[in-house]
Amino acid sequence: MKNSNTCVYEAVALKKEYEGGHVQALRGVDFRIDEGEFVSIVGSSGCGKTTLLQMLGALDKPSTGSLLYRGQSLLEMNDPSAYRAREIGFIFQSFHLLPTFTALENIQIPMLESDLPASERRGRALTLLRSVGLEHRAQHCPSKLSGGERQRVAIARSLANGPSVLLADEPTGNLDSENARIILDLLVRLHEEQKMTLVLVTHDMIIARKAGRNLRMLDGRIVFDGAPTP
Amino acid sequence: MTFFFIIVRGLTRRPVRTGLTLLGISIGIAAVVALVGISRGFEKSWETGLKARGTDIVVSKMGSSLAPKPFSDAVAAVILKLPHVAAISSQFVELLSIESSQMMMLSGRQWDGYAWKNLKLISGRMPLDAKEQAVVLGQTAADALKKKVGDPLQIEAAELTVVGIVDGGAVVENGSAVLALPLLQEIMGEQGRINVIDVRVTPGTSEAELKQLCTEIVRSAPDVTALAAGDHLSNSQSFRMVKAMSWGTSLLAVLVGVLGVMNTMLMTVFERKQEISVLLALGWKPSRIVRMVLWESALLGFLGGVAGVIIGVAGIKMLQKTEAIRGLLEPDLGIGLLLSSIVIAVVVGVLSGLYPAWRSSRITPALALQG
Ligand SMILES: Nc1ncnc2c1ncn2[C@@H]1O[C@H](COP(=O)(O)OP(=O)(O)O)[C@@H](O)[C@H]1O
Ligand SMILES: [Mg+2]
Repeated sequence: MKNSNTCVYEAVALKKEYEGGHVQALRGVDFRIDEGEFVSIVGSSGCGKTTLLQMLGALDKPSTGSLLYRGQSLLEMNDPSAYRAREIGFIFQSFHLLPTFTALENIQIPMLESDLPASERRGRALTLLRSVGLEHRAQHCPSKLSGGERQRVAIARSLANGPSVLLADEPTGNLDSENARIILDLLVRLHEEQKMTLVLVTHDMIIARKAGRNLRMLDGRIVFDGAPTP
Repeated sequence: MTFFFIIVRGLTRRPVRTGLTLLGISIGIAAVVALVGISRGFEKSWETGLKARGTDIVVSKMGSSLAPKPFSDAVAAVILKLPHVAAISSQFVELLSIESSQMMMLSGRQWDGYAWKNLKLISGRMPLDAKEQAVVLGQTAADALKKKVGDPLQIEAAELTVVGIVDGGAVVENGSAVLALPLLQEIMGEQGRINVIDVRVTPGTSEAELKQLCTEIVRSAPDVTALAAGDHLSNSQSFRMVKAMSWGTSLLAVLVGVLGVMNTMLMTVFERKQEISVLLALGWKPSRIVRMVLWESALLGFLGGVAGVIIGVAGIKMLQKTEAIRGLLEPDLGIGLLLSSIVIAVVVGVLSGLYPAWRSSRITPALALQG
């Protein structure tokens, strides 16, 4: 057991219901994620993976149970926007870049909620774009980029405000295997080099096995929590 | 990249829709500028016209037409005897189509009345007496009729001679054809009838005494109205109607603009639902989303306002050049009217954005992960 001050997330009896209880997306999950961990979450479609990620990202509130981020309750946080802007980075399956902005501009969008002066945003965005190997694509709009490139821009965007946690929902789900490998390598590199906590939802067992720890879900519950089995 | 840049990009992403919305709002604002500008200008030039004639009180019978109703010239003698009255000048005023001009103000003035004295000769001479078949033209009237000294001028059945061109010191005066009262009475077949009496009061007459005089005039002669020069036009039934109509029309046009902006902003919010939820997931505060929508909407209003002012002013300039009304139109396009039109447009923009902004504030970030 690691020291308690390195605990990033702690969930106890976390439940999420939709449509007045008709849909139980999470039926009471307990777990804890520590600083610098790489956790993969797998499970069949509809088992509650995305819902769990929504809770971790404070995109929605749990119905009951408790969820702490670094000892602070995510339910009672008075400014979830600030938490989303500074503490976490989101990576989506369908990239969700804004279509009317260039790659460089997309990366700057989250920076509007930071303290970074306008003059420095562009420079930082360029640095991030370079770190995902796409500086030559800075002025391209998303429609001019390949799927893999779009996801790399999205990863650069998720890093805009220097988060300590990355939450990724099937980030390779819309990519071919070659691009999937590039994206996964990029995420693993961020996890290793920058000691980022990485929570990654995936369908793909090969990807899930790259994680240090694997959560398997079934019907709103966690049915396995441990080192990935070969 | 700044927040403002994002707002501008929000408008340029659908250029055709934005353009049409701008057109809608700018037509409303152009209507405000043109109609209000014209009616204000008319009011103002009427006032300066009275001042140029040195008139303190105007006595007339305002009916529902633009020219006042005729009454007996015996009223003039009665008014002259009242206290504080220094001088009077009777007139018969008529709006007529003369030769090439479709609408010209004709002013038949009491031959020894003071209203003649403010006309400054630019060329030619004044009529020799009340019987001479002569007319003098204000500068703009002369331009509109394309007449110079010595030219004949046909008014109804009468053939007169233009003997002089004058500067009357005001648009109304300069747009008029002036002749002796008996002459016009004869032409119009209204012998012994007048429809306007200009009254000049003795120096030092107080505001209260002026009001008192007005009531006495009204009492001494049935059915006439007596109005101090300043309130004259605003009390005219027909002018009030023109004014109300110009505001009504403008507001209706602006309302159409409001609906256009609201519709566009609602569409924008709906079609960007997913994007907005992504922005929220990336950490944008809901208040920033609301501000984004309101600013976009305000910017639409502002741009529409600027375009509307340009269209309105250009439209009036073109109208002024048309033959029919040349010289009669002196719109009051003060910077005040132009600025307040733009302010109206911005307010319209913000108001139209309120409901779409509220809708945008209801979008949840959870949407970002669904689909
Ligand atoms: N907003 C919602 N309203 C109603 N039901 C929902 C909503 N979001 C998710 N669900 C339901 O909750 C369950 C879990 O969904 P989700 O977390 O998206 O699954 P996964 O990501 O593992 O495929 C599913 O049955 C889904 O239909
Ligand atoms: Mg999912």
